[in-house]
Amino acid sequence: MAEKLLELKRVSMAFGGLHVVNELDLHVDEGEIVSVIGPNGAGKTTLFNLITGVYEPTEGDIVFAGRSIKGMDPHKITKLGIARTFQTLRLFLNMTVIENVMAAAFAHTRAGAFRAMLRTPGMRREEGEIRNLAEERLAFFGQRLMGYRWNQPAYSLSYANRRRLEIARATATNPRLLLLDEPAAGMNPTETHEISELIGKLRDEGGYTILVIEHDMLDHGVKISEGSFEYVATDERVVEAYLGTKATATK
Amino acid sequence: MDDFIQYTINALTLGSVYALIALGYSLVYGILKLLNFAHGDVFMVGAYIGFGMLNLLGGATSPVVPVWLLLTIMVATAMAGCAVIGVAIERFAYRPLRDAPRIAPLISALGVSFFLTYSMQLLFGAEQRDYNAFSLDNGVLFLKGFDIGNVRVPLLRIVIISSAFVLMISLWLLVNRTRTGKAMRATSFDREAAAMMGIDIDRVIRFAFVLGSALAGAAGVMFALRAPASVTIGFVAGLKGFTAAVIGGIGSIPGAMVGGLMLGFAESFTQGYVSTRWSDLAVFTILILFMLFLPQSLFGRADISKV
Amino acid sequence: MTDAERPTPNVPDSLTEPAGPAVGQDEWVARHAERRLLRGGRLGAVEERLRAAPWWAWLTVFVCLAALLPVGFSSGYVRRVAFDTVLYMLLALGLNVVVGWGGLLDLGYIAFYGLGAYCYALLSSNQFDVHLPTVATVPIVVVVGAVAGWLIGLPSWRLSGDYLAIVTLFFFQIFIVVVTNGDHLFGHNVTGGSNGIGGVDANVRPFNLFGHDLPVAHSGSFNVAYLYVVLAFFAVVFVLLRFVNESRIGRAWRSLREDPLAAELMGMPVNWLKLLAFSFGAAVAALSGTIFAALNAGVFPTTFAFPLLITVYTMVILGGSGSQAGVIVGAIVVNVLLELLRDAGNARYVFYALIVLALFGVYRLSVRLAVVLGGTIALGFVVHGIASAIAKSNVDGPANGENWLIDGLRHWVIVPRDLGPWKQITYVALIGVILLLTLVRGWWRVALLVPTLYLAAFVWENVMLTAPEATRFIILGAILVSVMIARPSGILGERRVEIV
Repeated sequence: MAEKLLELKRVSMAFGGLHVVNELDLHVDEGEIVSVIGPNGAGKTTLFNLITGVYEPTEGDIVFAGRSIKGMDPHKITKLGIARTFQTLRLFLNMTVIENVMAAAFAHTRAGAFRAMLRTPGMRREEGEIRNLAEERLAFFGQRLMGYRWNQPAYSLSYANRRRLEIARATATNPRLLLLDEPAAGMNPTETHEISELIGKLRDEGGYTILVIEHDMLDHGVKISEGSFEYVATDERVVEAYLGTKATATK
Repeated sequence: MDDFIQYTINALTLGSVYALIALGYSLVYGILKLLNFAHGDVFMVGAYIGFGMLNLLGGATSPVVPVWLLLTIMVATAMAGCAVIGVAIERFAYRPLRDAPRIAPLISALGVSFFLTYSMQLLFGAEQRDYNAFSLDNGVLFLKGFDIGNVRVPLLRIVIISSAFVLMISLWLLVNRTRTGKAMRATSFDREAAAMMGIDIDRVIRFAFVLGSALAGAAGVMFALRAPASVTIGFVAGLKGFTAAVIGGIGSIPGAMVGGLMLGFAESFTQGYVSTRWSDLAVFTILILFMLFLPQSLFGRADISKV
Repeated sequence: MTDAERPTPNVPDSLTEPAGPAVGQDEWVARHAERRLLRGGRLGAVEERLRAAPWWAWLTVFVCLAALLPVGFSSGYVRRVAFDTVLYMLLALGLNVVVGWGGLLDLGYIAFYGLGAYCYALLSSNQFDVHLPTVATVPIVVVVGAVAGWLIGLPSWRLSGDYLAIVTLFFFQIFIVVVTNGDHLFGHNVTGGSNGIGGVDANVRPFNLFGHDLPVAHSGSFNVAYLYVVLAFFAVVFVLLRFVNESRIGRAWRSLREDPLAAELMGMPVNWLKLLAFSFGAAVAALSGTIFAALNAGVFPTTFAFPLLITVYTMVILGGSGSQAGVIVGAIVVNVLLELLRDAGNARYVFYALIVLALFGVYRLSVRLAVVLGGTIALGFVVHGIASAIAKSNVDGPANGENWLIDGLRHWVIVPRDLGPWKQITYVALIGVILLLTLVRGWWRVALLVPTLYLAAFVWENVMLTAPEATRFIILGAILVSVMIARPSGILGERRVEIV
């Protein structure tokens, strides 16, 4: 029986008087792919921000692999094994493709400033390992991000490739849990299907547990978390019901 | 007790000047999120414009117009001149950088500040200048006044404090009771949205600079009436004005006023009860503590940005 | 992007066929490298050739040339200027780490320079009667600088760009206040107050090795040995910093510059990285302070003032923040410029040379160039003729910095005996018309240039040359603003592309 990798216990997030998340219970088991769906403004990205430590929940607790991560610095949470992509892409545009991925290996590498200054053999070996890791992660996407592409600046990539690069970068942190924020946004049906398969591949071959935010259901087996939580819409907008999930507006 | 009253009067005078400067910082920061380093130097230019007017009208010992008119003209021309300079600075040094990374306009501001300071030094020399306000009308500004206990409050101080307040209240009314003021507030919340609502952003920004620089100009004249001025007063005054703005909550108008007064008190009382040497240090330390532990400051708004 | 990872210009060879359909692929990428060659025209091709050479080759060539400078120039003054330039290069390297690599606007940077100098003085003088050998003082001071940098950088944990800038500026002010009033610190004379620590009584020791002092002067003039010392410091610092920048820390710094939030979420401890940058910068500044104090046999609070900060910033910004080679070039250009501007005669050469070069650079050999040059010259003679016809005293005033150039130009540019209010009027007018120039284009600009240039010559001769100290700083300020607006990446900085 798979363990609960991530658990949110009655998590609430309020900005001043505005409640964006209201007593949310959620858990993700190891090896699962979980979809979070809902209309814009429902608080999905906020959820990701809460999990990754960008926001601290005003109430409730977040437990990852048995450890409470509430209030932790984001980079520490990443080090523990949670990585994410962004709804609006946030690549390091002026760096090369491979540098983007190598940069994400920071948390699990160790060569410090002194060793760097002296270029010790240990540091150089580690650099080689980082490079290999990055190449591996990029190879996951087939030929698209390979070869000459490694040394091209990230801003030269097409939109779809940028999305892929962001996923590759996230995997370079060696996460256990991968949070994908609308990975198929702005893509045509073929590309969306590809992303869908990619997510499956990430779980099957990569071994990652995945939490995906999407507008529409993706076409592989998806489990929607237990229906007793509520997403809170902001202000007055009326929310369409998605597959029977009800969301209520609260002041 | 007498000392206390004296220090308080000092504090109010100083504080009014700082508040005027702080308002300029707040106005600009509120809209552009830019710390206008050159603001202090605009203040300095105001002092010099006042001096120029004074000389033009006969000098302190033999002015060709009555004292009250003379002072009004000095303040008015300083305000006008500084407004023009402020607009020019905005148009040529900041506007091209509106979409650049934040560090760019800051560096540009540093450059402008430097440019202004040393241009004034080139044109008017590095030595200190005195309005010689004491001579005006046989010292009426200093000899007339009223008494609190044993302490005489000279007319000059009263004039400074009250005119500063008049200016501040006018500004507050302008920002809160007029359409342009509303446009300014809207722009400071969300520039893009304001633009989409039909607000002419360029005009609003220009207006903020006009107001802020004019106030700085007035502050310059008021400052120079009490103390000798040189081209370097802008730097320190700018720092202190900025401190006041931050203490009160940058972007907030009542905050700038309160911050200015608080700073005036802090400086005056440290000068009086501790020593003049260390008063600046006290001021700077207060600011750092405020910024580190009270980022919200007294009246400021928290900035919620979307990730 | 580090040099190692820059794409090479031989595009067709290194481009492997991407798998899958060509439609929708990034053709822009394929043409990207070609584009880089074309960019900058002739200069671009040269740039590519030069960039291909390994960096350490450049460094070696540079250091050798600099070391050979005393052979070619025996003047103590020139050697001293060379020393100052290399010292500035050191300072610029340090600031580059904070501003260029860390992306932090540290307006207190010079305080670390001062801290280093004062610490050296305290550890090698009679102030507290401590006389440590140089091999001990220098490392100690560097460590003190690093620690101080870490501490002063702590506010960056909470504060963003503009606020951090102000807080660092305030720390700078505090430093100045403490150091200037440090002769009454709790009853002890720590820093010598406004007189600093120096002179015969203080006996600040120069650098020494194995007990032998390195005298600061050789028969009255600058001891070249110090040039070699500072060159050695520079080379070592350059290499060490370069290695750090090419490691995972440098990558993390670059990521943090690009997008701090994303960097943090990719596991990079952004706050710690900022502190590291601060620390490195401060350490380098402190190191520079030691040599400064040793050579000047003392430290005085007035040295470490705002103008010095702006000078170093101009070097970094002009040269290209983020690029070590860039800030070196910036330091050389700015310091040489400042030196030339000290003397009115030299300043004149610089002015006219720059104007002519700029005109050629913008207009190349074209009709417009001819119009501008011809028009300006003609206008000059006309106006001068009229002015001297009205009154001789209009044109026979004494020139600032007499030399052959002004003697020749006298019949063209007006040098009145008595300027009066024209000093201020013409200066302000010149600024106004230069600003106006930025607003017009094409032939309007050409037309406006003619009177502008003539007015500029007038103002230069009669106003700016009268106060070289002020003029230098005016120019620095102008450089800062213009660079930020026209070419924010400076001369050699990385050209950043941000496609939103």
